[in-house]
Amino acid sequence: MKDVIICRCEEVSLTDLEDAAKKYNCSARELKLRTRAGMGFCGGRTCRPAVDKVLTSITGEDPTNNIPLKVAPPVRPLSLSDLGGVNHD
Amino acid sequence: MKMHDVVIIGAGPAGLSAAIQCRTYDLSVVVIDEFPKAGGRLLGQLHEEPNGEWWNGIKESNLLIEEAENLKTDIRLGVSVHHVERLENHYVVHTNTEHVAAKTVLIATGAAESAAPIPGWTLPGVMSIGAAQVMTNVHRVSVGEKGIVVGVNVLSAAIARELQLAGVDLHSMALPATNVVSEDQSNPRAVMERLVRIAHLAPSKFIQFGSKFATFEFVRNIALNFYPKDGIKMWDMPIHLRKAIKEINGTDRVESVTMVDVTPDGDIIRNTERTIEVDFVCIAGGLYPLGELAAVVGCPFEYNEALGGHVPIHNEAMETPIDGVYVAGNITGIESAKVAREQGKVAGLSIVKALTDNAEVAEKVDAAITNVQQTRDEATIQFHPEINEGRATISASFEQLIK
Ligand SMILES: Cc1cc2nc3c(=O)[nH]c(=O)nc-3n(C[C@H](O)[C@H](O)[C@H](O)COP(=O)(O)OP(=O)(O)OC[C@H]3O[C@@H](n4cnc5c(N)ncnc54)[C@H](O)[C@@H]3O)c2cc1C
Repeated sequence: MKDVIICRCEEVSLTDLEDAAKKYNCSARELKLRTRAGMGFCGGRTCRPAVDKVLTSITGEDPTNNIPLKVAPPVRPLSLSDLGGVNHD
Repeated sequence: MKMHDVVIIGAGPAGLSAAIQCRTYDLSVVVIDEFPKAGGRLLGQLHEEPNGEWWNGIKESNLLIEEAENLKTDIRLGVSVHHVERLENHYVVHTNTEHVAAKTVLIATGAAESAAPIPGWTLPGVMSIGAAQVMTNVHRVSVGEKGIVVGVNVLSAAIARELQLAGVDLHSMALPATNVVSEDQSNPRAVMERLVRIAHLAPSKFIQFGSKFATFEFVRNIALNFYPKDGIKMWDMPIHLRKAIKEINGTDRVESVTMVDVTPDGDIIRNTERTIEVDFVCIAGGLYPLGELAAVVGCPFEYNEALGGHVPIHNEAMETPIDGVYVAGNITGIESAKVAREQGKVAGLSIVKALTDNAEVAEKVDAAITNVQQTRDEATIQFHPEINEGRATISASFEQLIK
């Protein structure tokens, strides 16, 4: 069977995640940082639930009441000039 | 920067009906939505209710938009909110065009779809079932010549029917083949159980099939073991619970899918692969509450399966534990548009109550809360059978937290 891509923005596959988890024996958060799963252009809106499930199944971490992949602003893609406030007061 | 009474993020049924309440009491309101049209997910909806009446989302949105416009509501479309900043006694909502300041914020950002990744799902021509709904009913663009729906649930059944009404040719609906992500979406028993428990509410003849009998587990087992090879037909379209899509094939775009037979537990039966030619695939992985902005502003969350995933903790008055931050609609749990609309009304009135000293409003909040429950009880589309338990849990968490 072909490998499944889990995070399509960053093209991270299930095998990439499993390999990284095996190699570094790490937390869900570290795995995300190492592979960039869920950190692409869509800000995780497409793959967040899928990435969460894969990370939970690989690391055995409980889906806690905290959002597993912490959400940080900006939650939408944004140009630097907009972020820098060139266009508003 | 002008200080508004409230910024409402999301112009779906929840946001719009909240805006109407706030404007009725003359609060200064800004509604922001990133879509070019107001109405949210309501815009794509079209289904027949059990009593034979049609629920036409475009008509329903227009009613809300008209009412909001008559009250001179400031609605800003095509504007994305990327951050909500909490300052000492007000909030600043950051968008891609401006910063808007307000005493209170209502987050009514609705739901998003979960992807159900299967090999080949990144090929052009693969889309979520909701994207197919928006293309068909909002933009009126044909999604393709012949397609297949992967994922069997209330939403995909309702939207498959909409596609069919629009003249789109669907081969069938089938399950996604099992993997770590798809889990119970690929398990025929789990899918069947969910369908049966909502059968009496469902708008489709298919979902009503044999529901009277299938409430017994042994009947469900027999039904799955002897599930017809050609599927059970809904409006002439086969629904397969014993067939799954293992792979989507194509070089530059979707050309076909590989279908396999599965056991009642979802295990793939060997040597049953066959290729079905299609030029588009709709993946239906279910919905989850879109809570990113509530997370950013610091709302505590709870994982609540009946509500669809991680939801910001809130009470029935649509208040969060953070003073001045309110939530309404699908961000609080996946339910039908009618429930979202009533929740929006509650949130709007709660904000009016907090910002004015109008004695009649408190009573109105209570009445609106009762209406939410009544609407929930009568809902045609229910996304999770244990919705009432889910609601009770989250309200209890709020009380716990406030103490
Ligand atoms: C694909 C899909 C199909 C659905 N189909 C049905 C159906 O057939 N029947 C049914 O009863 N229910 C359906 N639902 C459930 C639906 O969510 C509710 O019916 C209802 O629309 C919820 O209303 P709401 O106001 O909470 O959110 P929505 O109607 O989703 O409105 C939320 C609005 O917030 C905006 N928004 C979100 N984030 C931002 C941001 N950061 N900045 C600016 N704007 C933002 C969005 O653009 C959207 O317009 C569907 C949901 C989805 C996702």
